[in-house]
Amino acid sequence: MIEIKQATKNFAGKAAVKDLNLTVPDGKIFGFLGPNGAGKSTTIKMMTGILPLDAGSISMNGVDISTDPMKAKHQFGYVPDRSDIFLRLKGMEYLNFIGDVFDVPPNVRKEKIEYLTKSFDIYEALNDQIHTYSHGMRQKIVVSGVLLHDPDVWILDEPLTGLDPKSSYTLKEMMREHAAKGKTVFFSTHVLEVVEQLCDEVAIINKGHVQFRGSMKEMKQQFQEDNNLEKLFLELTQNE
Amino acid sequence: MSNTWKLMKLMVKMQLSFAHRSTAEKTGYLILAVIMIPFGLLILTLLNELIAAMYAAFSPTGDEAVILGVLFVLMTVFYCFISIGTVLSSFYFAEDVESFVPLPFHPYQIAAGKAAVPFLSLYGVNAVILLPGLAFYGLHSGAGLLYYSSALLVWLLLPVLPFVLTAIAIMFMMRFVNISKNKDRSKVIAGLLGFGFVIGINVVIRLEGGSQNMYQLAAGQGDLLGLVTKFFPTAYISSSALAAPASIQGILFLVLMTALSAGGIALFFTIGQKLYFKGVLGLSGGKRNTFTEDTVEVYVKKKPLIYSLFRKEVLLILRTPTFFTQVFVQSLILPVLAIVLIIMEMDGPLGGAGPQLAEMNGKFVILASVGLSVVVFGSNPASISSISRDGKSWFNHLYLPIPPSKVIMSKMLTAYLLNAISLVILSAAALWVIKIPLSIWTAWFILSLLISWIASAAGVMVDLYSPKLDWTDEREVFKGRFIGIVPLAIEALVFGVILVIVWNINSLQGLWPVTGALLIIFLLLVFLMQTAMRKLTERRYHNLL
Repeated sequence: MIEIKQATKNFAGKAAVKDLNLTVPDGKIFGFLGPNGAGKSTTIKMMTGILPLDAGSISMNGVDISTDPMKAKHQFGYVPDRSDIFLRLKGMEYLNFIGDVFDVPPNVRKEKIEYLTKSFDIYEALNDQIHTYSHGMRQKIVVSGVLLHDPDVWILDEPLTGLDPKSSYTLKEMMREHAAKGKTVFFSTHVLEVVEQLCDEVAIINKGHVQFRGSMKEMKQQFQEDNNLEKLFLELTQNE
Repeated sequence: MSNTWKLMKLMVKMQLSFAHRSTAEKTGYLILAVIMIPFGLLILTLLNELIAAMYAAFSPTGDEAVILGVLFVLMTVFYCFISIGTVLSSFYFAEDVESFVPLPFHPYQIAAGKAAVPFLSLYGVNAVILLPGLAFYGLHSGAGLLYYSSALLVWLLLPVLPFVLTAIAIMFMMRFVNISKNKDRSKVIAGLLGFGFVIGINVVIRLEGGSQNMYQLAAGQGDLLGLVTKFFPTAYISSSALAAPASIQGILFLVLMTALSAGGIALFFTIGQKLYFKGVLGLSGGKRNTFTEDTVEVYVKKKPLIYSLFRKEVLLILRTPTFFTQVFVQSLILPVLAIVLIIMEMDGPLGGAGPQLAEMNGKFVILASVGLSVVVFGSNPASISSISRDGKSWFNHLYLPIPPSKVIMSKMLTAYLLNAISLVILSAAALWVIKIPLSIWTAWFILSLLISWIASAAGVMVDLYSPKLDWTDEREVFKGRFIGIVPLAIEALVFGVILVIVWNINSLQGLWPVTGALLIIFLLLVFLMQTAMRKLTERRYHNLL
């Protein structure tokens, strides 16, 4: 479970995120939406410990990211939207490095690396340096890294961008399986069809505030029933 | 033409702008500028004295233009040497090249844009050496206004042809090198060429040194200026233009220089139009290895986290061509140069220095060798680039459950390893070539291990305080940052004071008592550095983005 309480982040005196409250329950796929510059990335960076919070608190499975960062970071796996990972490592070295960071036993490591990278069709490229990979391949190696240590909470920032249809399908299935096991999947996206297809709950953020939070059903009920998600999204996030 | 101009302005702005730099960085530059003033004055004084001495030597025979000739030849060599690296990096290795190719610009326009910063950076050196050099020559020769206006024009034009010809040569070379396959390798070769150049020049000077000098050459030679500038026509033309600025001949030489420079630029545009894209296209991409089941077995091994982080740092340096040359190769330049000098002087005073050291005052020997260690290990490129090397991938350290202290320690160990390699090379030379007594070597080695640690920590701290993470080309980590001088200046001050104090304590005499005292002081320094590093890590680690 992820709990965000009164989270605030300012940049040069201007609030990027202000008093944000959000609870992401277990067993759900939670979609995080918002237009460009709404505060999505800032929120995710605060959740993952990349940016320190100016006020408020964020906890992962009850562990506070600010007061006990090491324990909190063991609770989640994060797929960033940027593919600037350690580019001079080979795919295999990167995965083994992640294995060392999360203390994954060698036999589990070997088995999972083979399974995951074969599922994502990057097994053959594991002996190449990551800087030679395409964006999609980099995305796949990071996703494999996250799945390698099997965290309870998945935080995925635009995870499907750049993935081919087969890998995209595989990842979506994995997300469903993870949620079905009672674990948490939190992901941000711009692709509204994916949200409609995949999410149990959504939150829409705009100008640093949560505009809406609820299930897909509730969202449609709150607005006109016949509206599609695109219209709802535009209605919620249009500038006043 | 207006598009070319716009592109040049854009690229200069992107690379040299101060707007995106932090206040701390700007303050750093200001402090650095103030620190540099005495060094600048020292260089100017030396230059002035050199020109005065040469003027006194050459003016009786009417050969004073030779001074300008030498100055111009040296500058020309310097422009070419500097431009090889900067042109290769800007034209072919910068990651942004491909983003300009799809835009509706002619190849020559992009080449001109790409040339702007490397070309302008030549004027940095030009302003420090050539400008005062020309002014001092003018003062000693009692020149008039016409000389100074001509000198200013020559000053502006002199870098043009060397730069343009170097750039054209590189474009020719890159046209035929299959860079997409060998991008990394060509970067390493370019870096090693520079390394070889430095060692080579030293060897040549050593071999030739002392056998002849300019004044001996003057005797029996008619056209001394022609001789000095034999392979450098622009140096000859410029010197002739300034030797008699008021004469028709002088004015004609100035016009010729201007015309040649304009012709050079036109040639650059023409060749750039034809060749630039041919070398650029297909830049991205890399070698693919095959992967088999057996390889998984080889890699999947559990290692301590600190070792994993350290290994990642070392691989980053060895596999990134710019880091390999700037960090690994540069770290070895001083020790290798020292060995070259020692070996070439085997029959000279250094060859038999070892046994003599044993007879000297132990206190002096150990203090002097500690001073040498501070110079050799003082500015370690691995330490001052430790955080910046990560660039945009730095944020990965923040969301992974890795304690900040371990990340910083892995970077410290990497810097320390490079110093340790230098230490081993120097030790080998000291023990087997100079035959330094074992007791002196032991004392020096122990103290140097601590000095290396302190120096590495100072470098890492300076980089942690103000890293450069938003680079698009790895060279930006080192280019124009002057960051190496800061730890060196601090160390020179701290160790300088310590050495002076220890030297003046008369009750402290002999090799081992002095070594013991230094050991205690250095251990204290290590402790202080570690405390400061811990505090700085807490303050800065999460605030670098």
